[in-house]
Amino acid sequence: MHRETITVIKVRGVLMVTMPADPDDATISALQEKTLEAMEEYEARGLILDLSRVDTLDSYFARTVTETGKMVNLMGGQTIIAGMRPAVAITATQLGLNLAFIRTALGVDQALDLMSEEHPV
Amino acid sequence: MNLLDEGSVAIVEETDIVTVRQTVREAAGQIGLGVTDVTRVVTAASELARNVFKYGNGGSMTWKLLESEFAKGIELTFQDKGPGIPDIEQALQDGFSTGGGLGMGLPGAKKLMDEMSVDSSPQIGTRVVVRKWRSI
Repeated sequence: MHRETITVIKVRGVLMVTMPADPDDATISALQEKTLEAMEEYEARGLILDLSRVDTLDSYFARTVTETGKMVNLMGGQTIIAGMRPAVAITATQLGLNLAFIRTALGVDQALDLMSEEHPV
Repeated sequence: MNLLDEGSVAIVEETDIVTVRQTVREAAGQIGLGVTDVTRVVTAASELARNVFKYGNGGSMTWKLLESEFAKGIELTFQDKGPGIPDIEQALQDGFSTGGGLGMGLPGAKKLMDEMSVDSSPQIGTRVVVRKWRSI
C-alpha cells in the first residue's frame, strides 16, 4: 500500500493543506513535518488544514492535528481547521477528542477570511 | 441470529489499520447503517486496530454481519498477540493509557459502539468484541 501524498500550497500568505480521505499514520506524521518546514520556508502567516475529504478522524489523527497547531502557534502562526464533515464532528465529540485549542471554519473560504481579518496582508 | 457475511484482516503493519478502516466501512455500508453510524464504527475500528498494532504485537480483525428478526448488525472482533491487560476495568476508564497516547482506544470505542466486551489474559492476549445494530 502506498503512502498518500500531502501537498502544501501557499495562498495569500497562508499555507493550505488538504488532507486525503483516509491517510495512514505515516502520512499523518508527514503532514506535521512538511507543514512546519513550509512555515519556515515560506514565512507563512498561518496554516489552513482542509479536512473536507476526511471521513475518519481518530485519536491519533486528532492528536497530530492539535500538536501541529500548537507548533505552528509557537512559530508565530495561526492554525484553522476547515470543512470538517458533520459525521466526523459528531464522532469526534462522542469520542472525546479535544480540538478546542484549534480555531475552526466551515470551509476554506471562511478560513481565509478569518485569517485575513486578523492578519491583514 | 443469521450470519449474512464475514471476513477478516490481518493486522501486522501500520498500513493494515487503513485496510481495517476500509474493510469495516464497506461492511457497515452493507447493512444500511447511516453515514454517522458508519463513521462511528469505522472510528472505533481504527482505535482498536491501532491498539492491536501498537500494544498487542499485531493480530487480526474479524467482521461479521448479523441479522435477527428485529435488527441487522455488525460485529467486529479484535484479537491481539500481546501480554494481555492486567486491569480491564481500569483500561476502560477515560484517559487511561499505557502507550503514551491519549488513552482513548478502549473507552472511546465503547462510546461509539452499542456493545463491547473485553477478554484478556497473558495466555490468549486481548480480545475485544464490539457490535453496532440497526433496527429493521
